[in-house]
Amino acid sequence: MIDDDSLSELPIITAKGLRKMYGPHLALDDINLEIPRGAVGILGPNGAGKSTLFKCLLGLITTTSGEGSVLGYDIRTQGEQIRSKIGYMPEYNALDPNLFAVDHVRYAGELLGMNPKNATQRAHEVLEYVGLKDQRYRKIETFSTGMLQATKLACALVHDPDILICDEPTNGLDQRAREFMLQTLNRTVREGKRSVLMSSHVMDDVQDLCDSIVMIHKGKIVIQSSIEDLVEQVDKEIEMVIWGGASKMEKELSSIGLETRRLGRVIRIKVENDSTINKALKAAVSAGVQVRQMKEYEPDLEDIFLLVMDKLGEQIKGTEDLMTVEHTGGD
Amino acid sequence: MPEEQVDLEGEVTRMDAAFGSGDGDEEATAVVAKSQASLGQIFEQTYRPWDGELGPRWMRNYAIFRHHVYGVFTSKGHRQYHPMVRLLILIIFLASLTPIPMLFLSSFIGDEGGFFEKMWGINRYNLWGQVLGYFPRNLCMWPLLTAVVVGGMISDDRQHGTSAIYFSRPISRLDYTSMKYLSVAIILGFVIIFSYFAYYTSAIVFKAEGWAYLADTLPLFLRGMLAGSILVITYTSIGLALSSISQSRFFAAIGFLSIIYGTKLVSLLIELQFGTTFMYAMSPYDCLAHTGQFLLGIPSNYEHPVSISVVSLMAMNSVSIWLLVSRVTSLEVTRE
Repeated sequence: MIDDDSLSELPIITAKGLRKMYGPHLALDDINLEIPRGAVGILGPNGAGKSTLFKCLLGLITTTSGEGSVLGYDIRTQGEQIRSKIGYMPEYNALDPNLFAVDHVRYAGELLGMNPKNATQRAHEVLEYVGLKDQRYRKIETFSTGMLQATKLACALVHDPDILICDEPTNGLDQRAREFMLQTLNRTVREGKRSVLMSSHVMDDVQDLCDSIVMIHKGKIVIQSSIEDLVEQVDKEIEMVIWGGASKMEKELSSIGLETRRLGRVIRIKVENDSTINKALKAAVSAGVQVRQMKEYEPDLEDIFLLVMDKLGEQIKGTEDLMTVEHTGGD
Repeated sequence: MPEEQVDLEGEVTRMDAAFGSGDGDEEATAVVAKSQASLGQIFEQTYRPWDGELGPRWMRNYAIFRHHVYGVFTSKGHRQYHPMVRLLILIIFLASLTPIPMLFLSSFIGDEGGFFEKMWGINRYNLWGQVLGYFPRNLCMWPLLTAVVVGGMISDDRQHGTSAIYFSRPISRLDYTSMKYLSVAIILGFVIIFSYFAYYTSAIVFKAEGWAYLADTLPLFLRGMLAGSILVITYTSIGLALSSISQSRFFAAIGFLSIIYGTKLVSLLIELQFGTTFMYAMSPYDCLAHTGQFLLGIPSNYEHPVSISVVSLMAMNSVSIWLLVSRVTSLEVTRE
């Protein structure tokens, strides 16, 4: 069990050779994990094994082989203790529409073993924290999507868990609600000193909140690193906005041996050495096109994700391809 | 200084000009509206830690039990039962207590061995009838009571995905199932067994019976209570199993009523057509009635041996509980 502050540098979640099979289907394959304290994003396309990994970490399903621990508790034998220390915010609706928000959060606390008095007091506190102070005595059936997500977060936070697992916390939220949700999670990490494990298809959200990511593909971990390190590993590019013949420009660049990626009028050129910019400008002259804009391109998490997926042979043009109606709220 | 030249921006107010002459008001300032007021912060988000201790397993289980049972009495803060459901439970409960005023009337008018005594007094037949009589209890009351209570007990969790709030916490499927089962059984037991108990004790009180009467009738009462308990267990098992296989509370309720009335009707038609009572072994009510008749020592209405009804009851309970357990096992945490 990890309680001592001196142990705070130790990983909160570890897994060694974790495998999970559903009949003949391999859901998790040789998972080796070391998740540090802080905010960590779990990324991967649909069916990659994120939910299965969460279930394994919560001790809800037995693993086929391998071992793992959460806060020092064995995931194979101490699921109950793990779930006492974890707050889980499910992706899908998990609220009784007939209850008041405060009663639902109190009940969520009582289900953890809090006595009714403590649970009630804590329900008021966490509802205030997630911005629902004035809506505490409203029935959940009258809530908007943002308020439902906030209530789920309050249910997960009611016992002040060491780790908060959030499955798509910004699903279906509008911009304002999304920002507030991320701000709340951020505050939980920075101010509350809690760890957050968050899965999301919205790379901006993960980049805003998380320090590091774990990327899963077909049950395997393909990347486990800090976002900072990942950005540094990606090839540097310059971005040019071309008018009057982007295709011609692309051909010209290819003919002089430069690697390019094109998105309409925007061409990104891999920087090989100091002469790349000169070469690109000369190519523009040769192609007879206008360069409206030229700048050094800073890759974001979305680019990294797409690059990795591209290398793994997934035909994903953007993370919007991974989203369902539940993710977008029907918009 | 002329009035229009008072320098408001410099916080020199009319009050200063009037009273600021060495009487202690030299430092006095007044709030003066400025051209641009700054907005105050209404909501300050602060993370508050909690260092309390979480209770043991029984506290978690008791929370589930309390949530479902207290909801019958007050919907505030607990599982919501529709007001009509609560009204129906109250009506059934009051209806199940109707023999008590009759007993009172019997003792009040001194009806020793008369009509009232025969109809509502304590004897084998009336004790059996209090829990297992077909009309009105097993035709109009107990199945209806069970249907409205079990309706959304598990199906609501499937429909709303609320199973996730149980299983993402340290609550095992065994605890979840057993507490739901206990909640339903207690509500049914409160109406069925408590009314039976109240009937028996009021007979003793109203007629001022003594120890000899108690010694004579207590074994009968206990056997009747056992029969009533078997009824509660069987109806709870079947009802919860139906609730666990659906997302609709209507399906569970109507399914339960169909099983109770449907099997009874089919068995009755077969008896009328072929003159055999054997098919009553597939009717939960008749199996219970048959077993109850055996327990209370009253002549059986059925030709087939009681062992068949007992085995049938065991099979019905086993299948229902197996179905319930397997369906609860399939309840998801991550998505439903």
